[in-house]
Amino acid sequence: MPGREQLHRLRVEYGKDGRLAYLGHLEVINTMGRCIRRSGLPFSVGNGFARRIRLQFSQALPVGASSRCEYYDLLLTDRVNEGEALVRLRGATPAGLAPVWCGYVPRELPAIEAWLTRSAWEVSFSRGVDRDALDGALRQLRDRGSLEYMRGEKRKVVDLGQTLVGWDWDEPGVLTLQTRATNQASLRPAVLLSATQGVLGREVPPYSVCRVGLWHEGVDGSLVEGLDTRSG
Amino acid sequence: MRLPRQDWYPRLEPLLGKVEKPSRYLDHEWGAVESQDGPFHVCMIYPDVYDVGQPNLGIAILYQAINRQEGMSCERGFLPWVDMADLMRAEGIPLLSLETSSPVASFDVVGFTLAHEMACTNIVEALDLAGIPLRAEERSEDDPVVFAGGPSVWNSEPVSPMFDAILLGDGEEGLVEMCALVRDLRGRGAARSDILKALARLDGVYVPSLYDVEFGPTTTRWGRAVPKPGSGAPKVVRKRCIPDLSVTDPLPQKIVPYVGLVQDRLAVEVLRGCARGCRFCQAGITYRPVRERPAEQVVEAAEEGLARMGYDEVSLTSLSTTDHSQCAGMLHRLNADLSPQGVRVSIPSQRLDSFGVEMAQEVGGSKKGGLTFAPEAGTQRLRDVINKNVTGDDIDAAARNAFERGWRRMKLYFMMGLPTETDEDIVAIPEVAQRVLDIGREVVGRGRKSGVSVSISVAVFVPKAHTPFQWAPQLELSEVRRRQALLLSSTHDRDIRVSYHDAEVSLVEAVLSKVGRGGFDLILEAWRRGCRFDAWTDQFDFSRWEEAARAVGIDLVEVASAPLALNVEFPWEHTSPGVSKGFLQREWRRAAEGVTTPDCTMTSCTGCGVCPTLEVDNVIWGDRHAR
Repeated sequence: MPGREQLHRLRVEYGKDGRLAYLGHLEVINTMGRCIRRSGLPFSVGNGFARRIRLQFSQALPVGASSRCEYYDLLLTDRVNEGEALVRLRGATPAGLAPVWCGYVPRELPAIEAWLTRSAWEVSFSRGVDRDALDGALRQLRDRGSLEYMRGEKRKVVDLGQTLVGWDWDEPGVLTLQTRATNQASLRPAVLLSATQGVLGREVPPYSVCRVGLWHEGVDGSLVEGLDTRSG
Repeated sequence: MRLPRQDWYPRLEPLLGKVEKPSRYLDHEWGAVESQDGPFHVCMIYPDVYDVGQPNLGIAILYQAINRQEGMSCERGFLPWVDMADLMRAEGIPLLSLETSSPVASFDVVGFTLAHEMACTNIVEALDLAGIPLRAEERSEDDPVVFAGGPSVWNSEPVSPMFDAILLGDGEEGLVEMCALVRDLRGRGAARSDILKALARLDGVYVPSLYDVEFGPTTTRWGRAVPKPGSGAPKVVRKRCIPDLSVTDPLPQKIVPYVGLVQDRLAVEVLRGCARGCRFCQAGITYRPVRERPAEQVVEAAEEGLARMGYDEVSLTSLSTTDHSQCAGMLHRLNADLSPQGVRVSIPSQRLDSFGVEMAQEVGGSKKGGLTFAPEAGTQRLRDVINKNVTGDDIDAAARNAFERGWRRMKLYFMMGLPTETDEDIVAIPEVAQRVLDIGREVVGRGRKSGVSVSISVAVFVPKAHTPFQWAPQLELSEVRRRQALLLSSTHDRDIRVSYHDAEVSLVEAVLSKVGRGGFDLILEAWRRGCRFDAWTDQFDFSRWEEAARAVGIDLVEVASAPLALNVEFPWEHTSPGVSKGFLQREWRRAAEGVTTPDCTMTSCTGCGVCPTLEVDNVIWGDRHAR
């Protein structure tokens, strides 16, 4: 067995689509573990009690949200050509979670969950939405500074000044939200839209959510792609 | 008119965001059979949520067996959890199959797994949600033909009004024959009544509507089922039995779920049947004879299954895996092959002797969680009554061996309310636990840091059909509570943790195990009063069962605790697992005398009758380890 320093860190980008958007983060983690085993790639196994595959995931996606840009880092005991690794992973993964790209990244990069903290979300409304009213509600919420909500039986507080970077309308009926995850909290689009109901006094139309961007944010505010293998 | 076959997923999807665990309803798992062209369509339903039903090996076996047939398609169905069921009702969405989201009521055949008695209200719930008439007699010519089968068919009378036909015993071949018969006869335009008569002529198939319930001086208040004149139905339906497990698919489990399951691992069935002869155990009688799968086949299936499915654990399942004559070699080889990949091999329970501990060591390696043993009773006298064939020395030796090999936590299973039980037997339960704890402290050392602890779990004995204890009354509810209190007050060491089953659940289970066809009224009334998911602690509501029993004129305690004469005719005697009633009567008498009966796979024939009756034999590939 090679030592940890001899392991290769393969970063895999995948989507979450269709019915599988309703998988929870833990379910995605378990599923990917099984896909990796099926792929026959030379994965590394930890030495803990449960002896799990050495695998790290980017930030959890809410249940029901789809994505075009999720990532995991997999430690391999042997370096396998990226193209071959992608073919093997795609052949072993359900279509709704299929990998789209993979490449090796430096071993010394921080944990992927802590490194990729900036997200862009596309919120697509199924029928007409009052754009101006929603803009106004979002501004009011941001001006309040923080958002309180219940998750199960737990009261959660999100600092909107930190986590809500901005929003825009790319096309009618499609709201793009820019968010940032902090050590304290991350902002879920559904939580924000649910809060707008309190301001608007009515429900927003039914919508679907898709994560369309996930980046590392440099100290200067610049955004680095998850698969930019040069960055540390 | 049967509901049309069409995809209702677009109607279901908007509800997914409103329910707990939407992944229960998604399908599209790795290994699911995507092509569902039929034209003959079967839906196999496990009457509980997906996470409980999906790991069921029986469903997997039948799903593959039917999908292998030309022109037949098989889908899975599960009961939606209460949140989804209520939303579906509110939205007018019927119960749907998983693969194509088609209404269950659109299928040609709907099959239910009878997993245990407490699932009975879930079957009513599933039929109601599907829009299929609850009683078989109310179904029209075009309605699905509703089958049942599984481990809990051995007193199927209280649920029998819901089923057109019930398959007894192994289902691999029987269910396929039943489906083919329905397909062929429906294709020829046969009437439903003629299809049912034809089904009754198949081996192992019980068609309840072809039997009347008669009452006589030796029957219980529930009567006995006899064939209707001219029906052609057999007086006694004997179970189907696959004589050789090695000819069956060793790897029927092919679907990899997304949801975390109750048993989330690859399962390979290493043997079927158990001849140890514990007198309370229904499976020990109804799955006879013992049929081992050869070790080579088990190892190949496990390795192939892991590569194909990607699990990180494989369980070698059966009623008594460590009794397999090739157990040690099998485990050793699998461990050697799989350990480097971080794959764990597990066995469902340990034999209570040193060999059992050695096998636990084989599968656990250096990882030591808890170790579970089942002495079942606290005194030697009572262990002899139940034919447990385990001595105090066995328990001590197994415990010492386990502690010496590194285990620190021991779990011991017992039962309460066993026939002839006295307070002395109850007090002896924590004494056994204390002895095991003392051995642990002697081997490992005293003090909290040693980590030595013992937990005991005490179930309430439920007398089951076709067992030597079928004549036994259940301990009355008030007495169960007194003995549970005695158990607690007799446990003095804080490193012994005690838990016991809910006495009220056990009472309802006992009633459902003893009643005849008339008991369906109770089930229906309980469901109407809101009972469903009764096997879930947070859903079970005893007061509703009490109200239902009052409404239909049943005294639950009286039914469960009535003593029965040895010559009584039970409501289930028209169904037979092949073991003779004479053998069961003899075992009941030997229990009263405290005389044990050996395991026929380790000694000689004990005369249960299953081999000559079903023309089968034990299939043992090596030498079994006697204690």
